[in-house]
Amino acid sequence: MRPAPATVRRLLLVLVLMLWELVPRAGLLPELFLPSLSRTLGVLVQNWAEYAHALVVTLYEVVLAMLIACGAGILIGALVGGLSLLRQLLLPVVSSLYAVPIVILYPIFTAWLGVGSQSKIAFAGVYGFFPVMLSTAAGIQSIDQNLLLAARSMGASLPQQITRVVIPATMPTVLAGLRLGGALAIIGVVVSEMLTAAAGIGYLVSKYRTVLDSPRVFAAILMILVLSVLFDALARWVERRTLAWQTAGLRERGAPMRKETYVGATGAA
Amino acid sequence: MQHVANLSGLRATHAQAAAIEVAGLSHVYGAREGTVPALEDISLTVGAGRFVVIVGPSGCGKTSLLMMMAGLRRQTSGTILCAGRPIEMPDPGRVGVVFQEASLFPWLTALDNIEFPLSIRHAPREERRRRADAMLNLVGLAGFGGRYPHELSGGMKQRVSIARGLVQDPPVLLMDEPFAALDEQTRMTMGHELLRIWSQTNKTVVFVTHSLTEAVYLADEVLVMSARPGRIIDRTEVTLPRPRTYEMMATDVFGRLREHIWQQIRKVT
Repeated sequence: MRPAPATVRRLLLVLVLMLWELVPRAGLLPELFLPSLSRTLGVLVQNWAEYAHALVVTLYEVVLAMLIACGAGILIGALVGGLSLLRQLLLPVVSSLYAVPIVILYPIFTAWLGVGSQSKIAFAGVYGFFPVMLSTAAGIQSIDQNLLLAARSMGASLPQQITRVVIPATMPTVLAGLRLGGALAIIGVVVSEMLTAAAGIGYLVSKYRTVLDSPRVFAAILMILVLSVLFDALARWVERRTLAWQTAGLRERGAPMRKETYVGATGAA
Repeated sequence: MQHVANLSGLRATHAQAAAIEVAGLSHVYGAREGTVPALEDISLTVGAGRFVVIVGPSGCGKTSLLMMMAGLRRQTSGTILCAGRPIEMPDPGRVGVVFQEASLFPWLTALDNIEFPLSIRHAPREERRRRADAMLNLVGLAGFGGRYPHELSGGMKQRVSIARGLVQDPPVLLMDEPFAALDEQTRMTMGHELLRIWSQTNKTVVFVTHSLTEAVYLADEVLVMSARPGRIIDRTEVTLPRPRTYEMMATDVFGRLREHIWQQIRKVT
């Protein structure tokens, strides 16, 4: 019997972690390149206060950046997707801006907002804004017009059409955009912390890299890794909960439909 | 005084006799180079409890006419009365609509879809559930209320759609090619089911279709529309007895009626 993909995935993760431990121990790589997992975790525990403080700073920046990215992204995305004039004006511009490495704007953000948290929040917020806005606009544009027509025929007012049809209909694409935008907000915060900062996990990475303290660099990397994976898991969980209707009944696919309760067809034929 | 009372009484009986009255209805599409006449001087009366089918070549405006009867589109001139009062906006208490695409909300279960028109006007929860359950039984889907649209077959989706159109108990049901996307067998079954539902509920039905067989099988009266500008060029009373059976399709009467309607359509295309 073939093993389940989930099992293989977990085994692979264990294998990577084991290699991380064993390769440096066996002397195959010097500690400067790759300190062992146990050494990295040890550094993390010993310097817990420093890392915890950095984590709090980074989390604070990430959460605010995500709020900006999601709030502005959904709002502007909805306007751009819903109003054809705005769409024609803005969408081509935004789509081409999307390819610009926004990190080049970061020096401007520090010039305007200083090297503290504000510049990171602003930069990461802008960085995460684009996928949220573009997917919201796409979601609104691709709404099945027949659903709106049906809702109108049932007497739905414009606010009811928005809350009862537009929002649930765009939920899948918006949530996908939020997951991507949230991930970009994390990247934006960490990158900006690595460039110019006095606090945060990204700051620890670049600080210890310059003094060649590999275990401390890897400890910081490990934290960011865990943070990103946890965010993704959370986002997926929210998507699964909210979009449960999409997968309803998939488990029993292939099972025969309960024909005996379907009296209509048999009763009529 | 006596005279006035009599008059209003007369008017009431008249309104009861005619579920829908269209008088002098014309519609013109505005285009860049002038205007395009779409519907021209359409007058028709649909008696209460009648099953009227509209056929005609593609683009003759039969769907437009139906959408105007539903209050979903405004005509350029002329009036549409339903139960003696003009139709100017969607009124699901007077007119239920079933669309070609079942247009069910994919994020709602069958039962919640049927309840949608009731929840739009904030009906109490128990009333909603009770009426939706009754509709689910009526269309032969008892036990399927918890299913999402993607878990239902095409025919079952249209059953839900019919239930949703009838849940506010409107005297009139408008149907825009509701079975056009179904396979032939399902289409026949659904036509038969619709007649059962119609005879159980005493509704007035206006039904648009491309299929002449379907038209003759279902209708009390078939109206033929011409291509642009759409006009009503023929009325055929279907003399077949009720209840209709599949065997009637093989009779001479059925064939002659179908042939007559076909000749009318051929004249104008």
